[in-house]
Amino acid sequence: MPINLVDLEAAIRDAVPVAHLEVEDQSSGCGENYAIILVSEAFEGKNTLARHRFVNEVLKAEIAQMHAFSQKTFTPKQYEAYLAKQA
Amino acid sequence: MSNSNFHEITSPEQFQSLLSQDLSRVSLINFWAPWAGPCKKMNEIVLELAKKYPQLLVLQVEAETQEDIAGSFEVDSVPAFIILRGHTLLSRIPGADAAALTQAIETHARIPPTPLSKTSQSPAPASNYSIADDKQETPAQLEQRMRDLMNQQKIVLFMKGDRVTPRCGFSRKIVALLESQNVTDFATFDILKDEKVRQGLKTLNNWPTFPQLIIDGEFVGGLDVVKDMVDNGELAGLIAQ
Repeated sequence: MPINLVDLEAAIRDAVPVAHLEVEDQSSGCGENYAIILVSEAFEGKNTLARHRFVNEVLKAEIAQMHAFSQKTFTPKQYEAYLAKQA
Repeated sequence: MSNSNFHEITSPEQFQSLLSQDLSRVSLINFWAPWAGPCKKMNEIVLELAKKYPQLLVLQVEAETQEDIAGSFEVDSVPAFIILRGHTLLSRIPGADAAALTQAIETHARIPPTPLSKTSQSPAPASNYSIADDKQETPAQLEQRMRDLMNQQKIVLFMKGDRVTPRCGFSRKIVALLESQNVTDFATFDILKDEKVRQGLKTLNNWPTFPQLIIDGEFVGGLDVVKDMVDNGELAGLIAQ
């Protein structure tokens, strides 16, 4: 069953304060392959592994229905630095 | 040898064994998933092709339950089709492209394979024994051995294959990522060569997959986590300490 993007976003917003969120469907043809960028102050003080484990737990049900899932996580400050580097 | 040329794959060992029996034989590998609509139609087409070309070896692989096989062919979406002669890649068809698949099979399977040599010997069994299998190893000893491996150097990467010949797309990518960040002083451990460490590390580090990067004796993450750490600056901090 295709993942409901609205539900996915709602699950994320329910779990953490969201400063910025991008959800991208990266599947070519069939198969659910999603990538998210999540910026949240809730990530302050959490290292990357802890953030990934946290998101994996929050989205456990949705990820189980996907073929592949990848995530990028930032605190608001880190996201600004990341955008500056891209510019 | 069974009469049927069609096999539903249940393990990497079975997969390797079937593929290695005749290195001049052309095979079609069908990567599919039960929840993906287009795979249903393509599976039927694959069955018809198997019947039409009995000299073709057809291996059906459920990509999610056989993630090691899917990973080694860098299959990240289904359906996907790989055509080999022996172990040599002839063609790769991503997506539910019935016309392309049929055309490719017609091209490659038309000429019956002429074996370079025949043997009645069966292939040697795959050797996946680790040194530790020969002695009795208690869980405590295994844990100590894993911790020693994790602490052998500041940065240790548990991967499939090694730096020179990675045996999976994700393992290859993490090596390339580390090297792109000028991280070159790290040890690697091939978990394909040690089943005990492979399973034990998944439990010890509470992480279900490989590659696994270890820094200062602690589990840091897999490919996705390390990619994120490069982008948010955390990796540089860990390396510098």
